[in-house]
Amino acid sequence: MNSIIFGGLAILSLFVFFNLGKVKASKKQTDRNNRINRFGELNPDNIIEGEADEVNENDKD
Amino acid sequence: MSKHSALNTFGRSANPAFTRGFESNAQTLPLSERMTLDGAVNKTGILLSLCFAGAIVGWNIPALTIPAALIGFILGMVTIFRSKEKAGSTAPLYALSQGIMLGGITLMYENVFDGIAIQAIGLTFGILASLLLCYKSGLIKPTENFRLMLGAAIGGIFILYLVSFIMSFFGGGISLLSPTNSSWASIGISLAIVVVAALSLVLDFDYIEEGAEKGLPKYMEWYGAFSLMVTLVWLYLEILRLLSKIRSR
Repeated sequence: MNSIIFGGLAILSLFVFFNLGKVKASKKQTDRNNRINRFGELNPDNIIEGEADEVNENDKD
Repeated sequence: MSKHSALNTFGRSANPAFTRGFESNAQTLPLSERMTLDGAVNKTGILLSLCFAGAIVGWNIPALTIPAALIGFILGMVTIFRSKEKAGSTAPLYALSQGIMLGGITLMYENVFDGIAIQAIGLTFGILASLLLCYKSGLIKPTENFRLMLGAAIGGIFILYLVSFIMSFFGGGISLLSPTNSSWASIGISLAIVVVAALSLVLDFDYIEEGAEKGLPKYMEWYGAFSLMVTLVWLYLEILRLLSKIRSR
C-alpha cells in the first residue's frame, strides 16, 4: 500500500513537472518590478527621469 | 546632460563585472542557440534518468558510495566555479555519480526502515511538482530579499554541517543532526532544513525561467538542469533523514 501511494505520487509529480515545466510562468510571476535580476539587464522602472546638474565644490561655498 | 543623454553618449557600461557575461551575447544569438524552457526540462529528464540508473548501481554495489560522493562533489564544484560552458559534459557525470551515492545511502536507510526509500522519492517529487505549480501560477514570487534570506539560511546550514563533520573526527558531532536522534528538537531542525531545500527549488525555477526569457546560450539549459539536480539530491537526502527520525519515534 505504502509503495502504491508514494510510487503513484512520484509518477504523477513527474508527469506534472515534465508538462508544466515547459509552460511559461504566469504574467503575475513575470511582469513585476521586484524580480531577481541575475543577468545584468537594467529594469526600466529603476531609472529615474529628470535633469542632472553638475555640482562643483566651489559652488557649495 | 539630461534624461539618459549620458547613456546615449557613452552607451551601457563596458565593465565586465556589470555585464556579467551574458547581456551582450543574449541579444545576438540565433534562436536555435538560445536557452529554452523545453530544453531545460528535457535535460532535467536526462539527468534524472542517469541518476536513477546510477542509483541501481549504487544499490547493488554499496562499496561505490563514498568514491561516487567524492567524484560527484568534485564535478559539482568544477561545474559551478570553473566551466558553466561544459555543463553538458559534467552535469550528466555528476548525475550518474550522485545516483550511485544515493543508491548506497538509500540501501543503508532501507535496511533499517523498510519502505523509507519510496516514501522519500514520492515526497521529493511531490514537493517538486507542487512548488513548480506555485511558482508558475505566481503564488510564490522570488525576490532579491527572498534570495538573500535563503542564501543566509543555506550558509547557516552549511556551517552547521561543516562543524558537525569536523567534530565527527574527534568522536563527537552535533547530536541534533544525527538521523538516529528522534527528539522533537531534532525533527524540527530537519523539517526546517527540508523547507529551506524545498524553497531553493523556487530559485532554480526562476533561474531557468529568466534564462529562457533573456535567451541565454544553449549550454545554460544544462546548467539550469544541473542546479535543479543539485537541489533535488539535497532535498531527497534531507527527507530521508527527516523520515528516519520520525520513524525512530
